[in-house]
Amino acid sequence: MIAQLRVDDRLIHGQVALVWTKELDTPGIVVANDNAAENEMVQMTLKMATPTGKKLLIRSVDDAIKVFNNPKAGNMRIFALTNCVADALKIAKNVKDIDGINVANVGRFTKDADNATQISSTLMLSDDELAALKELVELDVPVFHQVVPSNAKTSIASMLKNI
Amino acid sequence: MKDILIASHGHMASGIQSSIEILTGMGDSIKVIDAYVDQTDYVPKINEFIKEAKRPAVIFTDLLGGSVNQKVTLAAAKEKDIFIVTQTNLAVIMSVLLDGEELTKEHLQELIAQSQVQLVELESSSEDDQDDFFD
Repeated sequence: MIAQLRVDDRLIHGQVALVWTKELDTPGIVVANDNAAENEMVQMTLKMATPTGKKLLIRSVDDAIKVFNNPKAGNMRIFALTNCVADALKIAKNVKDIDGINVANVGRFTKDADNATQISSTLMLSDDELAALKELVELDVPVFHQVVPSNAKTSIASMLKNI
Repeated sequence: MKDILIASHGHMASGIQSSIEILTGMGDSIKVIDAYVDQTDYVPKINEFIKEAKRPAVIFTDLLGGSVNQKVTLAAAKEKDIFIVTQTNLAVIMSVLLDGEELTKEHLQELIAQSQVQLVELESSSEDDQDDFFD
Protein backbone atom coordinates (compact mmCIF):
# COMPACT_ATOMS: atom_id res chain seq x y z
CA MET A 1 0.00 0.00 0.00
CA ILE A 2 1.11 3.54 -0.64
CA ALA A 3 1.51 5.17 2.78
CA GLN A 4 1.96 8.51 1.06
CA LEU A 5 2.12 9.68 -2.53
CA ARG A 6 4.18 12.86 -2.48
CA VAL A 7 4.39 15.37 -5.30
CA ASP A 8 7.81 16.98 -5.07
CA ASP A 9 9.72 18.52 -7.96
CA ARG A 10 12.98 17.52 -6.31
CA LEU A 11 11.86 13.87 -5.93
CA ILE A 12 14.19 12.40 -3.27
CA HIS A 13 16.06 15.14 -1.40
CA GLY A 14 16.91 16.15 2.14
CA GLN A 15 13.35 16.71 3.40
CA VAL A 16 12.22 13.45 1.87
CA ALA A 17 15.18 11.20 2.49
CA LEU A 18 15.86 12.02 6.10
CA VAL A 19 12.64 13.40 7.46
CA TRP A 20 9.66 11.81 5.73
CA THR A 21 10.94 8.24 5.44
CA LYS A 22 11.40 8.30 9.24
CA GLU A 23 8.04 9.90 9.86
CA LEU A 24 6.15 7.50 7.58
CA ASP A 25 8.17 4.42 8.49
CA THR A 26 8.24 3.23 4.89
CA PRO A 27 10.85 0.60 3.97
CA GLY A 28 10.23 1.09 0.23
CA ILE A 29 10.51 4.22 -1.90
CA VAL A 30 9.17 4.24 -5.46
CA VAL A 31 10.04 7.13 -7.75
CA ALA A 32 7.46 7.27 -10.55
CA ASN A 33 9.01 9.47 -13.20
CA ASP A 34 9.46 8.91 -16.93
CA ASN A 35 12.64 10.97 -17.18
CA ALA A 36 14.32 9.30 -14.19
CA ALA A 37 13.43 5.86 -15.54
CA GLU A 38 15.43 6.65 -18.70
CA ASN A 39 18.28 8.76 -17.35
CA GLU A 40 21.08 6.85 -15.68
CA MET A 41 22.64 9.98 -14.20
CA VAL A 42 19.36 10.90 -12.47
CA GLN A 43 19.06 7.33 -11.21
CA MET A 44 22.51 7.47 -9.67
CA THR A 45 21.78 10.71 -7.83
CA LEU A 46 18.45 9.38 -6.58
CA LYS A 47 20.19 6.27 -5.28
CA MET A 48 22.73 8.45 -3.54
CA ALA A 49 19.90 10.34 -1.83
CA THR A 50 18.19 7.16 -0.63
CA PRO A 51 18.77 6.59 3.10
CA THR A 52 20.68 3.52 4.24
CA GLY A 53 18.32 0.59 4.74
CA LYS A 54 15.57 1.86 2.43
CA LYS A 55 14.78 0.11 -0.84
CA LEU A 56 14.36 2.13 -4.00
CA LEU A 57 12.64 1.45 -7.29
CA ILE A 58 12.73 3.97 -10.14
CA ARG A 59 10.04 3.39 -12.74
CA SER A 60 8.17 5.20 -15.47
CA VAL A 61 4.74 6.30 -14.28
CA ASP A 62 3.02 3.45 -16.15
CA ASP A 63 5.43 0.83 -14.81
CA ALA A 64 5.14 2.26 -11.29
CA ILE A 65 1.37 1.76 -11.44
CA LYS A 66 2.03 -1.93 -12.18
CA VAL A 67 4.35 -2.10 -9.16
CA PHE A 68 1.71 -0.50 -6.88
CA ASN A 69 -0.91 -2.95 -8.12
CA ASN A 70 1.35 -5.96 -7.61
CA PRO A 71 -0.26 -8.14 -4.88
CA LYS A 72 3.03 -8.06 -2.97
CA ALA A 73 2.72 -4.29 -2.65
CA GLY A 74 -0.28 -4.80 -0.39
CA ASN A 75 2.02 -5.97 2.39
CA MET A 76 4.57 -3.24 2.15
CA ARG A 77 4.40 0.39 3.24
CA ILE A 78 5.54 2.35 0.21
CA PHE A 79 6.50 5.99 -0.08
CA ALA A 80 5.73 7.03 -3.66
CA LEU A 81 7.09 10.15 -5.33
CA THR A 82 6.20 12.02 -8.49
CA ASN A 83 7.53 15.41 -9.56
CA CYS A 84 4.26 16.77 -10.94
CA VAL A 85 0.56 16.71 -10.15
CA ALA A 86 -0.37 15.19 -13.51
CA ASP A 87 1.68 12.04 -12.77
CA ALA A 88 0.16 11.79 -9.28
CA LEU A 89 -3.32 12.07 -10.80
CA LYS A 90 -2.57 9.23 -13.21
CA ILE A 91 -1.43 7.04 -10.31
CA ALA A 92 -4.39 7.98 -8.12
CA LYS A 93 -6.80 7.03 -10.91
CA ASN A 94 -5.19 3.63 -11.38
CA VAL A 95 -4.20 2.55 -7.87
CA LYS A 96 -6.72 1.90 -5.09
CA ASP A 97 -4.58 1.52 -1.99
CA ILE A 98 -3.34 5.07 -1.25
CA ASP A 99 -3.48 6.51 2.29
CA GLY A 100 -2.98 10.11 1.21
CA ILE A 101 -1.54 12.40 -1.41
CA ASN A 102 0.79 15.16 -0.28
CA VAL A 103 1.20 17.93 -2.85
CA ALA A 104 4.31 19.40 -1.24
CA ASN A 105 6.71 21.19 -3.60
CA VAL A 106 5.75 21.93 -7.20
CA GLY A 107 6.94 24.34 -9.88
CA ARG A 108 8.82 26.81 -7.70
CA PHE A 109 11.69 26.97 -10.16
CA THR A 110 9.50 27.28 -13.22
CA LYS A 111 10.79 29.55 -15.96
CA ASP A 112 7.28 30.60 -16.86
CA ALA A 113 6.22 32.12 -13.54
CA ASP A 114 3.99 34.69 -15.26
CA ASN A 115 1.62 31.97 -16.40
CA ALA A 116 1.64 30.04 -13.15
CA THR A 117 -0.78 30.18 -10.24
CA GLN A 118 0.77 30.34 -6.80
CA ILE A 119 -1.36 28.63 -4.16
CA SER A 120 1.29 28.52 -1.43
CA SER A 121 4.94 29.46 -0.99
CA THR A 122 6.01 26.07 -2.37
CA LEU A 123 3.28 25.49 -4.97
CA MET A 124 3.42 27.29 -8.33
CA LEU A 125 1.10 25.60 -10.78
CA SER A 126 0.90 25.88 -14.55
CA ASP A 127 -2.60 25.77 -16.03
CA ASP A 128 -2.26 22.05 -16.78
CA GLU A 129 -1.03 21.29 -13.28
CA LEU A 130 -3.81 23.36 -11.73
CA ALA A 131 -6.40 21.48 -13.80
CA ALA A 132 -4.85 18.17 -12.71
CA LEU A 133 -4.96 19.27 -9.06
CA LYS A 134 -8.63 20.21 -9.32
CA GLU A 135 -9.33 16.76 -10.73
CA LEU A 136 -7.21 15.12 -8.03
CA VAL A 137 -9.20 16.60 -5.13
CA GLU A 138 -12.40 15.14 -6.61
CA LEU A 139 -11.07 11.59 -6.15
CA ASP A 140 -11.80 9.51 -3.09
CA VAL A 141 -8.44 9.97 -1.34
CA PRO A 142 -7.20 12.67 1.07
CA VAL A 143 -5.20 15.33 -0.79
CA PHE A 144 -3.20 17.72 1.36
CA HIS A 145 -0.18 20.03 1.51
CA GLN A 146 2.51 19.43 4.12
CA VAL A 147 6.13 20.27 3.30
CA VAL A 148 7.67 18.85 6.48
CA PRO A 149 5.99 16.81 9.23
CA SER A 150 6.12 19.69 11.70
CA ASN A 151 3.88 21.76 9.36
CA ALA A 152 0.12 21.37 9.78
CA LYS A 153 -1.65 19.35 7.07
CA THR A 154 -3.69 21.73 4.91
CA SER A 155 -6.39 20.31 2.68
CA ILE A 156 -5.78 21.16 -0.96
CA ALA A 157 -9.52 21.56 -1.54
CA SER A 158 -9.53 24.44 0.95
CA MET A 159 -6.49 25.99 -0.73
CA LEU A 160 -8.20 25.86 -4.13
CA LYS A 161 -11.40 27.56 -2.90
CA ASN A 162 -10.13 31.04 -3.66
CA ILE A 163 -8.42 30.20 -6.94
CA MET B 1 12.87 15.82 21.43
CA LYS B 2 16.42 16.29 22.69
CA ASP B 3 17.70 19.63 23.82
CA ILE B 4 20.41 20.70 21.38
CA LEU B 5 22.89 23.59 21.40
CA ILE B 6 25.16 24.39 18.46
CA ALA B 7 28.14 26.65 19.22
CA SER B 8 30.50 27.88 16.51
CA HIS B 9 33.00 30.52 15.52
CA GLY B 10 30.89 32.99 13.54
CA HIS B 11 27.57 32.21 11.91
CA MET B 12 27.96 28.50 11.26
CA ALA B 13 25.64 27.69 14.19
CA SER B 14 22.79 29.93 13.06
CA GLY B 15 23.50 28.88 9.45
CA ILE B 16 22.99 25.22 10.34
CA GLN B 17 19.87 26.23 12.24
CA SER B 18 18.58 27.88 9.04
CA SER B 19 19.27 24.71 7.02
CA ILE B 20 17.51 22.59 9.64
CA GLU B 21 14.50 24.89 9.56
CA ILE B 22 14.22 24.46 5.78
CA LEU B 23 14.71 20.70 5.94
CA THR B 24 12.61 19.84 8.98
CA GLY B 25 10.74 22.93 10.17
CA MET B 26 12.36 22.33 13.57
CA GLY B 27 14.96 25.11 13.54
CA ASP B 28 13.35 26.85 16.49
CA SER B 29 13.84 23.85 18.72
CA ILE B 30 17.61 24.27 18.56
CA LYS B 31 19.65 26.79 20.55
CA VAL B 32 22.63 28.40 18.86
CA ILE B 33 25.67 30.45 19.81
CA ASP B 34 27.47 32.40 17.05
CA ALA B 35 30.67 33.24 18.92
CA TYR B 36 32.92 36.21 18.15
CA VAL B 37 30.52 38.00 15.79
CA ASP B 38 30.51 40.78 18.37
CA GLN B 39 32.21 41.53 21.69
CA THR B 40 29.66 39.70 23.85
CA ASP B 41 30.93 36.97 26.14
CA TYR B 42 29.12 33.81 25.09
CA VAL B 43 30.06 31.67 28.08
CA PRO B 44 26.94 32.75 30.03
CA LYS B 45 24.84 31.40 27.14
CA ILE B 46 26.58 28.04 27.43
CA ASN B 47 25.90 28.00 31.16
CA GLU B 48 22.30 28.98 30.62
CA PHE B 49 21.82 26.05 28.24
CA ILE B 50 23.42 23.64 30.71
CA LYS B 51 21.17 24.94 33.45
CA GLU B 52 17.94 24.73 31.49
CA ALA B 53 18.39 21.78 29.14
CA LYS B 54 16.50 18.59 29.76
CA ARG B 55 18.77 15.57 30.01
CA PRO B 56 20.13 13.95 27.96
CA ALA B 57 21.21 16.99 25.93
CA VAL B 58 23.80 17.46 23.21
CA ILE B 59 26.11 20.39 22.52
CA PHE B 60 27.61 20.46 19.04
CA THR B 61 30.77 22.52 18.47
CA ASP B 62 32.52 23.35 15.22
CA LEU B 63 36.14 22.43 15.78
CA LEU B 64 38.06 20.16 18.10
CA GLY B 65 40.68 22.33 19.78
CA GLY B 66 38.94 25.56 18.87
CA SER B 67 38.24 27.99 21.68
CA VAL B 68 34.48 27.48 21.41
CA ASN B 69 34.90 23.77 21.99
CA GLN B 70 37.27 24.49 24.88
CA LYS B 71 34.80 26.79 26.59
CA VAL B 72 31.97 24.32 26.08
CA THR B 73 34.10 21.50 27.41
CA LEU B 74 35.12 23.48 30.50
CA ALA B 75 31.50 24.32 31.22
CA ALA B 76 29.83 21.01 30.39
CA ALA B 77 32.28 18.13 30.56
CA LYS B 78 31.46 17.30 34.16
CA GLU B 79 27.71 17.58 33.69
CA LYS B 80 25.85 14.31 33.74
CA ASP B 81 24.08 13.38 30.50
CA ILE B 82 25.29 16.28 28.43
CA PHE B 83 27.18 15.01 25.43
CA ILE B 84 29.65 17.22 23.57
CA VAL B 85 30.13 16.46 19.88
CA THR B 86 32.68 18.32 17.79
CA GLN B 87 33.74 18.51 14.10
CA THR B 88 30.04 19.01 13.59
CA ASN B 89 28.20 18.73 10.30
CA LEU B 90 24.57 19.19 9.27
CA ALA B 91 23.97 15.47 8.88
CA VAL B 92 24.91 14.52 12.42
CA ILE B 93 22.74 17.21 13.99
CA MET B 94 19.77 16.16 11.89
CA SER B 95 20.20 12.51 12.79
CA VAL B 96 20.29 13.34 16.50
CA LEU B 97 17.36 15.74 16.17
CA LEU B 98 15.16 13.29 14.27
CA ASP B 99 16.21 10.16 16.12
CA GLY B 100 13.52 8.53 18.21
CA GLU B 101 15.62 6.21 20.33
CA GLU B 102 16.97 6.82 23.79
CA LEU B 103 20.20 8.77 23.56
CA THR B 104 23.03 6.77 25.09
CA LYS B 105 26.73 7.23 24.43
CA GLU B 106 26.78 4.08 22.29
CA HIS B 107 23.79 5.16 20.24
CA LEU B 108 25.22 8.63 19.75
CA GLN B 109 28.40 7.04 18.43
CA GLU B 110 26.34 5.12 15.86
CA LEU B 111 24.61 8.28 14.71
CA ILE B 112 27.99 10.01 14.40
CA ALA B 113 29.43 7.10 12.41
CA GLN B 114 26.52 7.31 9.93
CA SER B 115 27.02 11.03 9.37
CA GLN B 116 30.64 11.29 8.26
CA VAL B 117 31.91 13.51 5.48
CA GLN B 118 32.49 11.41 2.43
CA LEU B 119 33.68 11.56 -1.13
CA VAL B 120 30.81 11.39 -3.60
CA GLU B 121 31.32 8.58 -6.05
CA LEU B 122 28.51 7.56 -8.33
CA GLU B 123 28.18 3.87 -8.85
CA SER B 124 26.96 2.80 -12.22
CA SER B 125 23.40 1.71 -11.65
CA SER B 126 22.74 -1.95 -11.97
CA GLU B 127 19.22 -2.86 -13.05
CA ASP B 128 17.06 -2.66 -9.94
CA ASP B 129 15.02 -5.67 -9.25
CA GLN B 130 11.37 -5.66 -8.33
CA ASP B 131 11.61 -9.02 -6.53
CA ASP B 132 14.41 -7.63 -4.41
CA PHE B 133 12.28 -4.63 -3.59
CA PHE B 134 9.42 -6.68 -2.18
CA ASP B 135 11.68 -9.10 -0.26
